[in-house]
Amino acid sequence: MKLFNIISNLRLSLEFTSRDLKERYVGTNFGQLWLIISPLISIFIYTIIFSDFMKMRMNLIGSKYAYSIYLIPGLLTWTFFNNVMMRLTNSIFEKAGIIKKINVPMYVYYVSILLTEFIFYIISIILGLIFLLIIGHKITVDFLYLIPLMIMVGVFAMSLGVVFSLLNPFFKDLKEVIPIVLQLWFWMTPIIYVKTMVANKYPFLIEFNPVFYFVEPLQNIFLYGKILNYKEVFISVSIAFSMLLIAGFLYKKLIDEIKDII
Amino acid sequence: MQKTNDNCVLEIKNLTKSYKLYDKPSDRLLELFFKRKKHKIFYANKNITFNLLEGETLGIIGVNGAGKSTLLKQIAGVTKPTSGEIKRYGRVTALLELGTGFNPEFTGLENIYLNGMLIGMKKDEIKDKVDSIIEFSELGDFIDEPLKTYSSGMTMRLAFSIAIHSEPQVLIVDEALSVGDAYFSAKCTRALKELKKKNLSIIYVSHDLNSLKLLCDRLILLNKGEIVDEGEPERVINKYNYLIAKLDKEQDGKLNIRENSCQTEYGNYLAQIKNVRIYGVESNSNVISSGEEAVIEIEVESHKDINDVTLGILIRDKFGQDIFGTNTFHYDKNIKYKKNHTYIYKFEMVMNIGIGKYTLTVALHSQDNHLSNCFHWKDKAVEFEIAGVKGSIFIGIVRLNPLISIEECL
Repeated sequence: MKLFNIISNLRLSLEFTSRDLKERYVGTNFGQLWLIISPLISIFIYTIIFSDFMKMRMNLIGSKYAYSIYLIPGLLTWTFFNNVMMRLTNSIFEKAGIIKKINVPMYVYYVSILLTEFIFYIISIILGLIFLLIIGHKITVDFLYLIPLMIMVGVFAMSLGVVFSLLNPFFKDLKEVIPIVLQLWFWMTPIIYVKTMVANKYPFLIEFNPVFYFVEPLQNIFLYGKILNYKEVFISVSIAFSMLLIAGFLYKKLIDEIKDII
Repeated sequence: MQKTNDNCVLEIKNLTKSYKLYDKPSDRLLELFFKRKKHKIFYANKNITFNLLEGETLGIIGVNGAGKSTLLKQIAGVTKPTSGEIKRYGRVTALLELGTGFNPEFTGLENIYLNGMLIGMKKDEIKDKVDSIIEFSELGDFIDEPLKTYSSGMTMRLAFSIAIHSEPQVLIVDEALSVGDAYFSAKCTRALKELKKKNLSIIYVSHDLNSLKLLCDRLILLNKGEIVDEGEPERVINKYNYLIAKLDKEQDGKLNIRENSCQTEYGNYLAQIKNVRIYGVESNSNVISSGEEAVIEIEVESHKDINDVTLGILIRDKFGQDIFGTNTFHYDKNIKYKKNHTYIYKFEMVMNIGIGKYTLTVALHSQDNHLSNCFHWKDKAVEFEIAGVKGSIFIGIVRLNPLISIEECL
C-alpha cells in the first residue's frame, strides 16, 4: 500500500515535470528550442572567450581547447547544482497554497523540480559532448561513467536543497544567505581554476568541499577520458547518500510542523 | 481495518488539533531538537468525535474561528491531527478553496488532467471522464482557453465538475457553491442529491443557514474548537443563533453606537417603545421558518395619560421594501394609556413570507397613521431571518396557500 502510494506519487512528479517544462515555454515563439539555446551560449562563451580571445592555455593535454574542455563539465554541473538549490530553497513557500489545500506530499514537488533541472543538465552535457566531437576530442567508453556521476550530483543537490527548504520556514534569513553562500562556494571550488593552484596553500578548500568530489571525476572524464581517482568517486557516492538520509530524516521530522506554520 | 459500523465511511475519534505559538519561528526548531519548552498552546479542535455514514450529508456550522476549516483540513488529510484518529474508508475529495492546484497558464482541458491527478485520479480514469466533466461544467469552447481568462464562476464550475467526477466516497464542500450563479448552484445541488442517492457522503460547510437546512441530514455545531451540539438541522441552527446572539451581547458597548447612527427614531416620547422581540414559537429565536407561527412582543411605557393610542408594526425586507404592515387601529384594539404604566402587546401570526432577512419597525401614534400625533417611531427595532420552509416549498416573498385541484379530461 505504502509502496503503491510512493509509485503513484512519483508518477505525479513526472507529470509535474512535463507540465513544468511546458509551462516555461508556453507562449514563446521558439518553445522548447530555448532548452538548447542557453547551454549552447555558455559553451560558446567558454570556448571563444577563454580559448580564443584570452588565449588561456592549459598544458594538461595537447589541445588548443584544453581549457574549454576543462571548464565545460564543471560549469555546467555547477549551473545545475545552483539552480536546484535556488529553486528548492523557496519551494515550500511557492507551493504553500497547494500543500495546505490538497493532500499531495511535498516530496512530489521536490522530485519534479529535480527532474526538470536534471533534464536541462542532461541536455547541456550532451551539447558539451557534441562540442568535444566537433573539436575532435576523443570520446571513450569511460564517458559512460558520466551517467552515474551526474545522478549522484542530482541526489546530492536535491538532498541539500531539501534541507535548506525545510529550514527556510524557521529562519527566514536563509533566503538571503543562500545565494551568497552559493557564490562563495563557487569560487572556492576548482572550476574556473585548477586544483593544483590551491591544493598546497589551502588544502581544506578541496578536502572539505563536497562539490569537489563530484566535479573532479567529471573533469577528468572530459579531459582524459577516464576516472583517475576512484577514491573520489567513492567519497562522492557516500556524500550523496548520507545527505539524502539527513534530508529524509529532517523531512519526516519537520514537514507536518511546517504545514502548520506556512 | 475494522469498521465499528458497516455503512460508516469516516470515523473520527477524539480528534484534537493544537497549534503551538512561538515568539520566533526559530524557537520552534530549537524545541523540536532540544526538548526545551518555548510555546503557548492554542486548541483549534478539541476532542472531536463523530461518524459519517454512507449517503449522509453532514453540515458543520460555527462562528468564524470555531475550528471548521481546521477540521476539514484534517479530514482532507492536508494537516495532521495532534492527537486522536481519523479513519477513512474510501476516497475523500475536498473542494476547500476555489481553483487550488489549477495553473492559470494552462487551458481548462490541461487543468482537468492536472487537478484530477492532484486529487488522486489516474490518467486513464480522467481520459474516460473528460467529456463528461466538460459537459457538466458547461464551459463549451472555453475549455481550450487558458484558465486565466475564466471568471471565478467558471473556475468554480470546472473545479466542482472535476470533484464530483472523481467518484469520491466523501466529498467536502466548503462554501464553494456560493460562487456560481443561481442556475449553476441549483445544478450543483441537484448533482449532489443525485450522488447522494448513489451513497456519496457529503460534508458541507456554509454560513447560508437556508441551504444547510435544505441539504443536510445532520448538523454539527462547533464552538471554540469543540462540538457543542449535534443532530437535527433545525434544532442545531437555533442553537447556533443563540450563540451568535450571545456574541453580540458581549460586544454590546461598541454595537450600540453604530446602531443608533443608522437607526432612525423620533417622536414626542409621551409614550415610549421600550422593548421589542420577535421569535418563532418552535425555534424560540429570531430565525424562523417560513410557515412557522411567530410572536412579536412589544413593551410600551407611557409618560402621560393618553386617550387614544395606536401601535403599528411594519415588516421590511433587506432592500427596505415594505412587506407587511398593520396597526391596532385597523383591528379595533386601540386603548387608553394611564400615566407611567407599562403595556405589553403581542402580535401572533404565521410567517407566510419568503426566506431572507427582514427588519421590524414599530410605531406609536394616534389615529390610523403617525402623521398627526407621533409618540415614538422606531425603525429597525429588531431584525429577524426567515430560513427554511415548513410545508410545501415556494419561491418569492409571499405564500398564497393555493388549493390545487386537478381534473383529468378524457
